[in-house]
Amino acid sequence: MTRERPDDLTAAERDLLARATAGSPAPEPRWGEYRAELRARLEARRSIGARLRRWWARPAPIALSFGLATALLLFTLHPVERRPDFAALDEAVLGARLDLLEHYHVVERLDLLENFEVIRRLDDVPSREG
Amino acid sequence: MTDDREATSDETLCRRIAARDDAAFDVLVARYQARAYRVAWSLLRNAEDARDVSQEAFIRVWEAAERFRGDARFSTWFYRILVNVCLDHKRRGRWWTRLVARDADRDAEESLVERQPAPGPDPGDQASEAQTMMRLWNAVHQLSAQQRAAVILYAQEHLSTAEIADVLRVAEPTVRVHLHRAVAALRKELAP
Repeated sequence: MTRERPDDLTAAERDLLARATAGSPAPEPRWGEYRAELRARLEARRSIGARLRRWWARPAPIALSFGLATALLLFTLHPVERRPDFAALDEAVLGARLDLLEHYHVVERLDLLENFEVIRRLDDVPSREG
Repeated sequence: MTDDREATSDETLCRRIAARDDAAFDVLVARYQARAYRVAWSLLRNAEDARDVSQEAFIRVWEAAERFRGDARFSTWFYRILVNVCLDHKRRGRWWTRLVARDADRDAEESLVERQPAPGPDPGDQASEAQTMMRLWNAVHQLSAQQRAAVILYAQEHLSTAEIADVLRVAEPTVRVHLHRAVAALRKELAP
């Protein structure tokens, strides 16, 4: 079949392109096998498609998809809060109560009394007046 | 009276495929299998990939046949699907695939030289011509994917620049630029 080819190429340039594409001819497959393989692939694709359509039409997958979508939406809107960093919290509290260090000797004694369970039983301790 | 040629035209077969006619699909595959495989081979240069990708193109025809509107020729539509599948395949190729392909290319180069006809009266000239063709073939492989597709559709499949533009969804002058750049690259390859 002859075709009009308005491509601005000279005959020599067309010949050059033709030689370049003829450099390595395609190996010839066995066409019978090729078509059988294609038919098997097509059947597999069709059956997968049909199975997927049937599966998605069932109530359980619909509920599952809905549940997953809801969970994803909730997670996006309310991301799970991170667990607090206790060490950082402790440092922040201590940092805010630096004045305690000024009365360190009192704190030390209170610690000691706590160790002897005096503070817990403070009510039982007789007063000097009593 | 039914016109036999109309009844078996590609476009008619495609309409029958859209109506899920297996026989029409088989006829179309038999009609296009060789060129589909040849184009895929030229673009991918690997027999297994060419087989896989050309079969995938036929499966896409089956799946999308009802979307073929008939405002272009079926062959143009089919080449578009085929070239897209080939280019997608190349884009998806992983590093190890490319390494293996490089080895396969080397094997192909060697086998091409081996495939050349037995030396005649002037074996030097024939070997030289085989080497030149191999250099040109490799130079085509160095072109960009779209340029390479344009060259193959033009020189191997004998499509017009307008048809190639339709297949690649680019303007016709772009196809001409692709072809001229390819010619320039090939001439450079041949320069001493």
